[in-house]
Amino acid sequence: MLPNTLGLLFFFGIPVLVAFYTSFQEWNAIQPPVFVGAANFERLVRDDAFWNALKNTVVLAVMSVPVGMALSLSVALLLNQRLPARNLLRTAYFLPVVTSIVAASIVWTWIFQPRYGLLGNLLAPLGLRDVNWLTRPDLILYPVAVVTIWLRLGFDMVLFLAGLQAIPRELYEAALIDGANRFQRFWHVTWPLLSPTTLLVMVLSIISAFQIFDQVYVMTSRTVRGGVGGSATTLALFLYMRAFTNSEFGYASAVALVLFLIILGITVFQLIVQRRWVFYQSEGE
Amino acid sequence: MLGRRGNHQTPFYDRIPLPTVGVILTVLCAGAVVMVLPFLWMVSSACKPPAEINRLPVTWAPQNVSCAENLQALYATSPHFTRYMLNTAFMTIGRTLGQLVTCSLAAYGFARFRFPGSNLIFAVLLGLLMVPFQAIVIPEYLLIRGLGWLDLFAAIIVPGTFSAFALFLLRQSFKQIPLELEEAAEIDGANPLQILWRIVLPLSTPALAAFAVITVQAAWNDFLWPLVVTTSAETRVVTVGIALLQGQRNTPWNLLMIGSLLATLPMLVMFALLQRYFIEGISMSGLKG
Amino acid sequence: MSRTARSIALLTVLVSLLVLAIPAQAQEMEEEAIAPAPCAEPGTLTMWVWDEAWAEIIGNAIEDWKANYCPGAEVNLEVQPWGQYWDLLKTNAASGDLPDVFNMSQTNVFFYLDNGALMNLQPYWDEYGVDTTIWGTGLVDPYRWGEDNDLYAGPVNWDTIAVYYNKDMFDAAGLEYPTADWTWDDFAAAAEALTTDTIYGAAVYLEYQAGYPNWIAATGTTPIIEAGRTACTLTEPGSVEALSFLKGLLDAGYMPTPSIMGGASADDAFNFWASEQVAMITGGSWKLTDALNNVAFNWDVVQLPRHPETGRSRSILHAVGYVASARTAQPDLAANLILYLVSDAGQTFFAEGGNVAPANPSPALQQMWIDAFGDTNVNIQTFVDATVDSQGVTVFDEIWDRINSELVLNIFDLGVSVEEETQAACEFIAPYVVAEE
Repeated sequence: MLPNTLGLLFFFGIPVLVAFYTSFQEWNAIQPPVFVGAANFERLVRDDAFWNALKNTVVLAVMSVPVGMALSLSVALLLNQRLPARNLLRTAYFLPVVTSIVAASIVWTWIFQPRYGLLGNLLAPLGLRDVNWLTRPDLILYPVAVVTIWLRLGFDMVLFLAGLQAIPRELYEAALIDGANRFQRFWHVTWPLLSPTTLLVMVLSIISAFQIFDQVYVMTSRTVRGGVGGSATTLALFLYMRAFTNSEFGYASAVALVLFLIILGITVFQLIVQRRWVFYQSEGE
Repeated sequence: MLGRRGNHQTPFYDRIPLPTVGVILTVLCAGAVVMVLPFLWMVSSACKPPAEINRLPVTWAPQNVSCAENLQALYATSPHFTRYMLNTAFMTIGRTLGQLVTCSLAAYGFARFRFPGSNLIFAVLLGLLMVPFQAIVIPEYLLIRGLGWLDLFAAIIVPGTFSAFALFLLRQSFKQIPLELEEAAEIDGANPLQILWRIVLPLSTPALAAFAVITVQAAWNDFLWPLVVTTSAETRVVTVGIALLQGQRNTPWNLLMIGSLLATLPMLVMFALLQRYFIEGISMSGLKG
Repeated sequence: MSRTARSIALLTVLVSLLVLAIPAQAQEMEEEAIAPAPCAEPGTLTMWVWDEAWAEIIGNAIEDWKANYCPGAEVNLEVQPWGQYWDLLKTNAASGDLPDVFNMSQTNVFFYLDNGALMNLQPYWDEYGVDTTIWGTGLVDPYRWGEDNDLYAGPVNWDTIAVYYNKDMFDAAGLEYPTADWTWDDFAAAAEALTTDTIYGAAVYLEYQAGYPNWIAATGTTPIIEAGRTACTLTEPGSVEALSFLKGLLDAGYMPTPSIMGGASADDAFNFWASEQVAMITGGSWKLTDALNNVAFNWDVVQLPRHPETGRSRSILHAVGYVASARTAQPDLAANLILYLVSDAGQTFFAEGGNVAPANPSPALQQMWIDAFGDTNVNIQTFVDATVDSQGVTVFDEIWDRINSELVLNIFDLGVSVEEETQAACEFIAPYVVAEE
């Protein structure tokens, strides 16, 4: 236990502490840093762009995490059955994880493109062929949420598949003898015994939803980074642009600290609440 | 050897009526189309001449198949491409094995032993997973620079050996294993390390497979950090090699796509190889008796 | 001493007269705009570039420098990906070790100058006798800094903008090909005539460098922001006129929206043009190689149309520069390397390579660049001509996204009026405007 803990603390704890200290400074990476106390945090509270990024991040998390988890669990359950071409299908669902994100952005841009795009032509009978999905501030979060789910599905599917394998078959056999139907077996055997994995997937999905960066970056790279008027700017993208575009490294660190505290709060809450619904075989029948 | 001693059997399967199979397959295939479209475009573009790639509306089948020409052009532009791939492989293996050792030990500790502050320490470690990397890349760089590791494999492998994700995944999996198996081993005089090695890890094969798939994939695709700490062809990884193809003024899509495809193939092979560990259910009966 | 100087001056005049007297062919061979100098003491430099293709050219040039001017010198030439170049530069700046010599762009230089991170090259230009006015204002003005307008960079290349047009589509519409003296009115008429059910007439507004600022410049207004950041110019009549002219073509259906093209970058317009969906686009000289290799139809380039009243056709011009770190341990050697790279000898490597037009104004080098494209039916000279009345870059990183694409999307994709959007953009820029002293 010790080596991993110490390693994590050394290689990530120290930089995090430095970033924490930087959040009380004004620093542009070239001039010596100046200590400014809580000024960065005061600015943050009054910064509309920050609140906008926070709102976008929360909206994306709400749109992508429940749907993404439901889809990946469904796919994992189905692909855990004896089906023809099962391995092929599993590989297909895993492909987004290994597909070049640049290639993906080209295809997704095409899918959402008005006039030529796949989606527009599917929706053409509804008169929705020429919708500017990727530039309209009121629409852009939908494509980003879709790509987020697409990117993560294979990853969560793998975790769920592994979790499903850990359920002892005797329990299913016993349930079958008791005359449980398919739904009952899912509800009384699969769901409780899968709960440690469900917790894992939920915590990881929420963490990654709060760190959404790559998909926004590439989905908006051909229009304007972060969407028109910051309409797709997430907290991670916001802090990155503050740091590397505006050279406000102190302010960016303050944003990072707030982001960290938000995620930490949500995660600690999940770990506390888990006692009510997560079932570990090692802790009792 | 691992986990191959009768404790893994054919998993439990429902008998599904044929029409249901048809419906399930149809739904899954429809979903799969969306999942694979970008990949298919990557494959077809890897074999298109540059003029065809940016055609509007999007074209799918290459008219002039030119995989070989693109491959040749890739190596003409990026002569060290094979070296980049080997560097990536080396660092991925190093990080994965490192994580397997350090994280399985730590995860076992957190799953089984309670000591004052253990939950707090676990929460802090998990917290480190939550800090956006963009926020700590500069202090991290300064740390590695201070250690004198710039442009060395150690700069990527050593920090990459510690993972809060693997810790969490393995802890969840270990907590799934019924205690009585370990208690039995303990009575037989096994120490915790032996229990971890002989009982816990073999019983966690699916989780280990998931760990391997995800860790290997993450290490293989890692971009920002290797870019920041490496400068020479001897240490640079394939993701950086692909990024280098893209100039300010020109985007050679054919090269980007064939490069990305080459970089992806080992991951597909890995997934195909590890897949079989997801189709084996575990049975406790072999051990209980 | 002063007598020597005077005799050198006299000699220079005599030589120049002699040069002018000999036939043009020979003149191009003999006139040397900038000569390299031997270095005082060799050492080791680290140098950063952002493009593999450039790295190869610069690598060859450095070999020549080491062999013929600075034996014993070593250069660690490191290529960084363009997409992450500026982030990496800041990461290295944060740790106090910028590379000794590195590539710089006109949009990013302000930050480094403002923070004293760059070495002043002016004393070296003076010492080496380089007349910095030989480079056009658009090339080097953004790299000047301080009270004396000292030049902090050696310019590598230039890019200018022209109209790429599909000759086959002009033929089909029964139109004459455009000539260098065409005006906005001629352009609008052509766009209308070329538009069909499946083809757009033009797409010429996208992006800062290849798009709408060229049209603003033709009205006589400095695009976006005055040099020295003294005022936002987007609300001035010239800016509003140019944007309204382009918006009018869009509203009439002669131009596609950015969404229809799949993006708001000049590359998206180019791909749309190469896919035969649009007849005319504005594009940079950097697209020549791509167009020559990958376009299947007949095409040519023509100078940007002239504004009907000012009679001017003005191209945005950008030049990448070589700069040295203010903290380099070897300032003399770094300056010597930069001098070589911008000299006739160093720039020959760029000219011969084609694609990148050398900043060094020597006619021989410019011709060499044109010839490097081989036998084409394309009037490449157009881009050289565009350097004459050109506009240097005045924008900078903090406002880049806003004016490069957000303004374009708001006006041409989301239907915001020109007046409203220019007002909003100027409000965004306001905090970055410095009061005139």
